[in-house]
Amino acid sequence: MQTFLQLYWTLLLPVALGFVGVYLLLPRPGRSLPLLGALAGGAALLAAGFFVVRLPASIPESILFYAFAGVALLGGGMMITQKNPVHAALSFALVVLATCGLFLLQGAPFLFAATIIVYAGAIVVTFLFVIMLAQQAGLSDADQRSREPFLASLAGFVLMGALLCVLHKNFNTGELDRLLDEVEKVAQAKTAQEVKNLLGDPDLMPFGEKSLNLVTQLSAHFPETEKRLVENLEDAWGKMDVALLTERCKKVIDAGRRLRLATGILTPGQTRAGREREDGKKDAQLPLSPYSGVPANAKIIPTDDGKIPERLAARNVAALGRSLFTDHLVAVELAGVLLLVATIGAIAIAGRRAEGLR
Amino acid sequence: MTPVYLEHYLLVGAALFALGMIGFLARRNLIIMFLSAEMMLQGVAVNLVAFSRYRGNLGGQALTLFILTVAACEAAVALALILMLYRRRKSLDVSLWQELREPDQEPIVDEEPLPKRPEEEPSPRLTPAGRTPSPPTAVPQGARGDHTQEQETSHV
Repeated sequence: MQTFLQLYWTLLLPVALGFVGVYLLLPRPGRSLPLLGALAGGAALLAAGFFVVRLPASIPESILFYAFAGVALLGGGMMITQKNPVHAALSFALVVLATCGLFLLQGAPFLFAATIIVYAGAIVVTFLFVIMLAQQAGLSDADQRSREPFLASLAGFVLMGALLCVLHKNFNTGELDRLLDEVEKVAQAKTAQEVKNLLGDPDLMPFGEKSLNLVTQLSAHFPETEKRLVENLEDAWGKMDVALLTERCKKVIDAGRRLRLATGILTPGQTRAGREREDGKKDAQLPLSPYSGVPANAKIIPTDDGKIPERLAARNVAALGRSLFTDHLVAVELAGVLLLVATIGAIAIAGRRAEGLR
Repeated sequence: MTPVYLEHYLLVGAALFALGMIGFLARRNLIIMFLSAEMMLQGVAVNLVAFSRYRGNLGGQALTLFILTVAACEAAVALALILMLYRRRKSLDVSLWQELREPDQEPIVDEEPLPKRPEEEPSPRLTPAGRTPSPPTAVPQGARGDHTQEQETSHV
């Protein structure tokens, strides 16, 4: 328990603050402390931004990410705590716009536009409903009371904490990135003195303890087959061979970046069953079609200058369309049928049956 | 190196999903419950698009489009249902439908009264001035109009 708390307190602190905030803000008829709840909610957002995300605040992408993610979560919190359903619908519009921003950041311009159009339409319809139905008699039981606010927010935030911990454990690459940055600094060192400044002097170390903290930390991230790469680093440092060290550092950085991109990618056995090649054999490496992009389990090959190729360009609207109508044609047809059925169903449910009886 | 990592988008998606779940469990207004369900879908969509970006594969984006379709269908059917439920009970409170609960469940009783809202001042009324107009007679409109016009001209 203690080690768990030590490992994940940065995640659990914002979750706990969020729990207090949402619990206090959920509508209830008796005494409530909205100011305290708002303070706790705001503190939760700030703590999440500070402890969990920890991005460099200067790169435009991270600024935009902070803005959109913050607005999305703030809007989500406001939506579930507003007493007035009109305000809740407005907050939901805020959530949708912010998630559209996140889509755009991740190279999905078509989804950005489609979500705005579809949800803007849906929101307008919802608005009409809200104004038509809810505002006739003013605030009611439904708006001024919550069902089991404590248990509901406890359940929600326990789920959130569990999800956050699991995601952090499986997809956190921050530690590896920090170590790779250190290796990169060593790779840029030109003289033996610079290397000594960065890593320490091997001659000053007591015999038998010529191991590098950096290397032990790094090799924990590498699989058994690639640990040798990292241990070679120590060897070169022991000999104080700067040229060799630089070369081996570059190898470690390449391997580290591949490893970083491979985080969270399923093994071939777990991905789709594989498509049949022309000779009739199944091959999990084969992409659905050339339009769908790289298959999930394809090897990541850095270009000659050591950069990881851009994985999904923002100009993918045409590719998405082709992929939809080649790889997912049946699903598209089914979605169309579903829409038709939903339309008919909505008309059938909402139709005034009483009038037909008269 | 990408400055924003996959993990961060996944965290945002998970948080949106959990917030939506709280809204769905705690709120009693049908429309807000519906919006909370939509917010859970948004959390899933953020997750899918993040994986799509991370793997350089359009599968996630295609799946998000299908989520969008399902969300649109859900909106259509849910709003029709809400409309029907509202017609039956004249309220959006989901607790009014608690006779549908399991037989061994206790009913929810609201013990705390709602706070009394200050009574609104009645809007000011003007005292009617002049003669009360007499109700129209049952004469056909065209004929009556001609008739009164004739009367008025004869008076002058």
